[in-house]
Amino acid sequence: MWKFLLPFAAFVALVVLFAFGLNPNRDIRALPSPLIGKAAPIFTLTDVLDPARQVGNGAMKGQVYVFNVWGTWCVGCRQEHQTLLAISQQHVVPILGLDWKDDRDKASQWLTALGNPYQAVAFDSEGRTAIDWGVYGAPETFLVDAHGQVIFKYISPLTLEVWEKEFLPRIEAARRNGA
Amino acid sequence: MRCDRRRFVGHRAASAFAFAAIFSVANFGVASFGLAMFGAAHAAAAPADAALGLDEHGQIENPALQARFEDITKQLRCLVCQNESIADSNVQLASDLRRQVREMLLAGQSDQAIFDFMTARYGEFVRFNTPLEAKTLWIWASPAILLALGGAVVLRITRARSRMPLDDEPTPGST
Repeated sequence: MWKFLLPFAAFVALVVLFAFGLNPNRDIRALPSPLIGKAAPIFTLTDVLDPARQVGNGAMKGQVYVFNVWGTWCVGCRQEHQTLLAISQQHVVPILGLDWKDDRDKASQWLTALGNPYQAVAFDSEGRTAIDWGVYGAPETFLVDAHGQVIFKYISPLTLEVWEKEFLPRIEAARRNGA
Repeated sequence: MRCDRRRFVGHRAASAFAFAAIFSVANFGVASFGLAMFGAAHAAAAPADAALGLDEHGQIENPALQARFEDITKQLRCLVCQNESIADSNVQLASDLRRQVREMLLAGQSDQAIFDFMTARYGEFVRFNTPLEAKTLWIWASPAILLALGGAVVLRITRARSRMPLDDEPTPGST
């Protein structure tokens, strides 16, 4: 009996393992963020468009917002820019941007030429704010609730499908819970 | 008759080996496929101009701190390349993280404080040396468990074989 049952059990275990491991939709380099459920790191930086103006997320408390990390050197960010513009047209939540390890002039050219979906863009030339947020590539997009807690992180370029599937339900849930 | 049984035993050992081989090849395939798919979409920070293996910020004057710096940066994973440490990698993020380690060392922080800082932001995956904790126990125990399982299989096969009479001589009549 065991002679047949054991190999069969091993086979089933392998099938389950492969079904998980070979899933083409699974991004094996996407890491779970330890920030989920924790307070979003507070930062104050200068505005990418105006070095004299300060931009931070301290004033965002009390509202749900999206925090998007990008750079002009990042191809995926250009790819996702149209999606960000479409999202900003929906006026659901404000989008706060972080221009990571970039050049001010290039960034302002980018925003002028392609359109600006952001409420404001902070300029992180040294990459310190990005380290605080555990950013390891661009684009990365975070969702923060009204209590200032990180509730979701998405790695890779945003698409409207991802926005509708992953972000909108979480925004609604956060607002229903009074957060 | 005996020949058949013996062939069966050999076959079992061979299939166990093939299983292991297929398993590791499949694992490797999944990993490289994933890496290839990932490349374009999620870009690493702009390439650094640092020479390979050298830190662009230079040595720390205090040799004890420099030694700790080298030790710590070797134990932290570069999350862009994922199989390199931040000491070895010359991508921009690794350089920023080395700067962070250097600053924390110069500020008199302990090794543990630096590892905690990194883990709080990037998760346990950032550490190459997995700490021995309740939730990581199975990782540390798995080599011993696999060795015991493999040993049990080998033991069973050799015992079954040693109980069989020798029949190395060709059977009369066969080629």
